[in-house]
Amino acid sequence: MNKRFYTLMLLVVSASLILASCTPGGSSSKDTIIIGVTDQIASLDSGDAYATHDWEIIKNIGEGLLVWTPGSADELVPGIAESMPEISADGLTYTLKLKAGIKFGDGLELTAPLYVSQFERLMTIGPSCPNDVADTLVIPYIDSVSAPDANTIVFKLKVPIAFFPQLLASAPYLPSHPDKFPVTECVLFPEAPIYGVGPWYISQYTQNEQLVLLPNPYYTGERTPQVDQIIIRYFTDPQTLALAVQNGEIDIAWRFLDPELIDQLRDVNDVTVGSIPGGAIRYLIINHTMAPMDDPNVVKAMASTIDRDAIIDTVYNGAAETLLSMNPPGFLGATEAFDTLYQSPNIEAANAFLADSGYDANNKCAIELWYPPDHYGAATAAWMQLIKQQLEQANFVVDLKAQEWSTYASALTGGESYQAGVLGWFYDYPDPSNYLDPFVFNGGMGTNVTMAAEGSSYGEPINDKAAQLVDLLAEADIETDMAARTELYKQAQDIYADLVVTIPIVILGEHITYRSNISGMSEFGNQETLNVATNLELNYSTLVKK
Amino acid sequence: MTPIAFILLIIGVPSLIMLLYIFIRGSMGMRKYILTRIALTVPMIFILASLVFFIMRVLPGDPVRSALGPRGTEIQAEHMRAQLGLDKPLIVQYGNFLKDIITLDFGNSMVGGHRPIIDEMSERFPATLELVIPASILALVIGIIGGSMAAAHRKKALDFSFRIYSVIIYSLPIFWFGLMLQLLFGVKLNLLPISGRIDPVIGTTLHRVTNMYLIDSLISGNWQALGSVVTHLILPTVTLGLVLSGVFVRMTRINVIETLQADYIAAARARGIRERVVVYGHALKNAMIPVITLIGLQVAILLAGAVLTETIFNWPGMGGYLVQRISARDYTAVQSVIAMFALLVALISLAVDIIYSLVDPRVRY
Repeated sequence: MNKRFYTLMLLVVSASLILASCTPGGSSSKDTIIIGVTDQIASLDSGDAYATHDWEIIKNIGEGLLVWTPGSADELVPGIAESMPEISADGLTYTLKLKAGIKFGDGLELTAPLYVSQFERLMTIGPSCPNDVADTLVIPYIDSVSAPDANTIVFKLKVPIAFFPQLLASAPYLPSHPDKFPVTECVLFPEAPIYGVGPWYISQYTQNEQLVLLPNPYYTGERTPQVDQIIIRYFTDPQTLALAVQNGEIDIAWRFLDPELIDQLRDVNDVTVGSIPGGAIRYLIINHTMAPMDDPNVVKAMASTIDRDAIIDTVYNGAAETLLSMNPPGFLGATEAFDTLYQSPNIEAANAFLADSGYDANNKCAIELWYPPDHYGAATAAWMQLIKQQLEQANFVVDLKAQEWSTYASALTGGESYQAGVLGWFYDYPDPSNYLDPFVFNGGMGTNVTMAAEGSSYGEPINDKAAQLVDLLAEADIETDMAARTELYKQAQDIYADLVVTIPIVILGEHITYRSNISGMSEFGNQETLNVATNLELNYSTLVKK
Repeated sequence: MTPIAFILLIIGVPSLIMLLYIFIRGSMGMRKYILTRIALTVPMIFILASLVFFIMRVLPGDPVRSALGPRGTEIQAEHMRAQLGLDKPLIVQYGNFLKDIITLDFGNSMVGGHRPIIDEMSERFPATLELVIPASILALVIGIIGGSMAAAHRKKALDFSFRIYSVIIYSLPIFWFGLMLQLLFGVKLNLLPISGRIDPVIGTTLHRVTNMYLIDSLISGNWQALGSVVTHLILPTVTLGLVLSGVFVRMTRINVIETLQADYIAAARARGIRERVVVYGHALKNAMIPVITLIGLQVAILLAGAVLTETIFNWPGMGGYLVQRISARDYTAVQSVIAMFALLVALISLAVDIIYSLVDPRVRY
């Protein structure tokens, strides 16, 4: 009996192994595209989610009133809206009409009152949700939203804002399904299936393993799916992610692979690495109210010392670009203000600035530089060490200090504890205001060029230049004429660089690695990066498998 | 029923019945011993859980700030602290923590989706079990066979080979060894999958009941899934199992050699019993007693090894979860996972002690 049982078990296992090896599974399946990521989902509730990967999923199962054209980071077009918004003369009222026949994946029709009801949910319960996107991207701007009829949505703003169309394309402004996301509570992980009005719906979600997307049968928009199924697989180790795309277990390796892994994959047959000049930047926060950083000569000397090319070559193997203004290249009004002013590395100029404040080779300027060794990857320690060496080529003595991330972030951006430290940034919406305002207004995330003030949206500037900068940025935020707005940002970046509010260092390229049988669509831009532009939006609908 | 409850049911109920049987049928000394061991297990877990609770709070780092990042305002931080109960006095937090452990509730995670810890464990614990059980079996099989063969051929080529094997394999860094296997069998030869528990497409057809995919595929009769699960298990099991087998080879070898010098072995040989029967029939059984103790001790090492193996092979188990949550200073998750590990190690140690006392009648309590 025992012998028979064991023989039977052996046969079952052997047959299963043979079946498994013969069946087209994984990336060999022609109707399925598998995307590997090291991101994790923090929330699928558009009223709460505030992470890039969460937004990617939400935007693929949903569609905004306005959307970015695939492959473009500067072309906003109507999505579920019939046309671009009508804007009132005072810039405070935006009116949009819904296209007819917009439906969720279960057939529920989207009407303007339904949109408004779900949007009001975001404004009421949003601030109590864990990730609280509402307090950053909605509540500061929206006074009210209403639906005068079944197809019309009217937003009333608190102040005119030039970048409101960009906000309309962001995840919090997407309509959510009322059954899965009730008005009474945030639901971060509703039970699948999860329907939106976009091209896909979530049919299965196995935490930490995979998320399965199927085409929305009621979708009538422009982004029609090209394959039957998309599977997102979650990885913990970038090395394993790289090996998985190399051996074909996945079709696409998306965020994040370390620079050295990207380098290795470039040499692999059947694998293409597409590089996107992404929007993630690294920079130094300077606390302008803490000595010696309160001395303009000291911060200018620091800005004159940084050798960005050396950092890129040494630490990022060339897989990054120099950032010469906080407003990155490609964004409205981007300049190279730091290069124009400081032409760094320029040790002579740095020492001249320091000499003006009484520092020389015998009396060096002692500064502290902080960094979080565990948050921005292994490269952080290496490039902070390099910055220390660069600063010490001039008359600086640098005390490099490391701190655990949560303590670090709180102390640095609180503006009380650290002289200077490194930080990373990725925008919420692709607009210069999102790269400049946060570092200037209301404490400026620890830069202290303005001091937070009760009842003020901008804070109290610490000097005349800071006041001028605040005025320019505030004016640019509401200026709707693009030429005038561009000019305002150009002026603002000059003052920003003169004040050395922060020191921009590098802009990190993002990389998308894919097998040779995968492509983007030729009718959209950036086909070589699978139609991913600098806004890093990966549209699963434009992915094609041969 | 959650997967973790199901697993506890299928493992816990038979174990409890067996324990009761031993308790009722055993001697008074045995009963006393079992009661003492159970009584000692409770304070052990309590002390360990308390230590973890306080160490997590002494360490630098704040789960709220870690979750909010640099953009988080003080108002948001206060709001989140209140939601998570971190605004309460430490002693109140400690009381709540103990209550959660006793009720096996564990509370909610402090980061990510703020999901109930018990749900997260339900998803991950079965994955770890599915990796650890076959790896242990592999380690034991290689260890016992290799160790006894080495002892039987003492000071011969086979003995030296196994001794060298055990030293090398035990000293191999598990992440390096795993990576080499991935490169060879996954990338170069393209024979075996290198990541995950099941093929993603086949995974969509698997009905998950226990979250132990081997069992789930068998229950549902999904043979294609079974095949995929088995092929996905091979590399991580081999990595973890081989690394752990080294210590079992050495331990078995030493014990078999010692046993082979005993008088009853000499008597057996004098009676003309074949050497093969002497070694594998008589000596090995007795040599296994200390090895059984070692199994209990190795559980903790096995779980530590699983942390690295899970990371390398993208195995979504408890190890990877623990690493993620330590980085995020997720107090509740870390405390709960360590309490769970402690409970597991304590229960296995208890089981090993009881088995030891059963197989070795000389042991008196």
